[in-house]
Amino acid sequence: MTTDLPYAADAEVSLSFDELEVLRIQYAKEVESGHVTVQTKFNYSWGLVKSPVREHQVEGVKLLQDLYRAEPSRRRECLYYLALGHYKMGNFDEARKFNGLLLEKEPANMQAQSLSTLIDRGVTREGYIGMALVGGVAAISTLLVAGLVRRAARK
Amino acid sequence: MPPAAPAPTNVKLLLIGNSSVGKSSLLLRFSDETWLPEDEASATIGVDFRVHRMTVNGKPVKLSIWDTAGQERFRTITASYYRGAQGVILVYDVANRESFEALPRWWSELETYVGGKDSGGDKVIKIVVGNKVDKEFSREVSAEEGKAFADRVGSLFVEASAKTAIGVKDIFEELVQKIIDTSALWDTPDRRTGAVRTDHGRGGVPGGVQVIGGEDHSASGCAC
Repeated sequence: MTTDLPYAADAEVSLSFDELEVLRIQYAKEVESGHVTVQTKFNYSWGLVKSPVREHQVEGVKLLQDLYRAEPSRRRECLYYLALGHYKMGNFDEARKFNGLLLEKEPANMQAQSLSTLIDRGVTREGYIGMALVGGVAAISTLLVAGLVRRAARK
Repeated sequence: MPPAAPAPTNVKLLLIGNSSVGKSSLLLRFSDETWLPEDEASATIGVDFRVHRMTVNGKPVKLSIWDTAGQERFRTITASYYRGAQGVILVYDVANRESFEALPRWWSELETYVGGKDSGGDKVIKIVVGNKVDKEFSREVSAEEGKAFADRVGSLFVEASAKTAIGVKDIFEELVQKIIDTSALWDTPDRRTGAVRTDHGRGGVPGGVQVIGGEDHSASGCAC
């Protein structure tokens, strides 16, 4: 029997359109009535952060930031989902900052530990892509320069 | 060419129950064979997820285990994880009467989200687990009471302790064995033609079931 590495499920699994719509409508209704409950706002921002759509993630992170400031009792959840949202958007520095704050308070938290692994992997992957890009640019400029030199030499 | 390894059957399991009954600890004991003392354990945020591989009837099974937060604040959002579960582990703490008395509420939520008898929800195999039997001195729920509830709702029952590891393997093994036995029955051609199955997999002899199911269906797992 073997076990894979722990894994942040919310990073990959998103809600269906209808499920997110239920949360959005509830939130919109409360905004209209002038009183938004913490639970409704949290539920909606959670759904947004899980979405694969970037605009949703941005909006979710914004709402979570408000909640984090306004609701000390929800801080650990907000930190986790703020880290997750930034991770999904590729803002690895921000992701690490929020996840780090959670780990500071709960060093044994396995969800935060596994998110931390995911963030590190994301950074590494980005590093490889960056290197590949730099490598690609270098290769192309070498060819261009070589071409120019050859053309110049022909004259 | 060597024969390819058979594709594992995927099984989705869900852990539910009140806050602090030890859902995450049961999972940690089962998957990593470790245990975190109370002061180090932290309440699950939303949902945690683990993949675990095991062998049932000589065939590979890949378990996706979803460990949900028991806190009230996550009640609405964790329901979205119920979808597609083939097995549910309903946990209470034998030293906390309130967590046992909350079982009917969890049960009705389960029926709402995975469906009751009429909408195929009865195909989801359930097991009721009385955790923390290491706290025998402060026990508030007897094994008989736990078993009686499980019998009444038609679910499996095990008492366990994530701390001492007693009964933990049994939870997952009994549940997965029953899911595999039952799913082999659903995948028979009989089901597609609408034939009525009468035993609900309860009396299924694993060997016999496989002959009926045939090799082609073994990898497809859940037909839902």
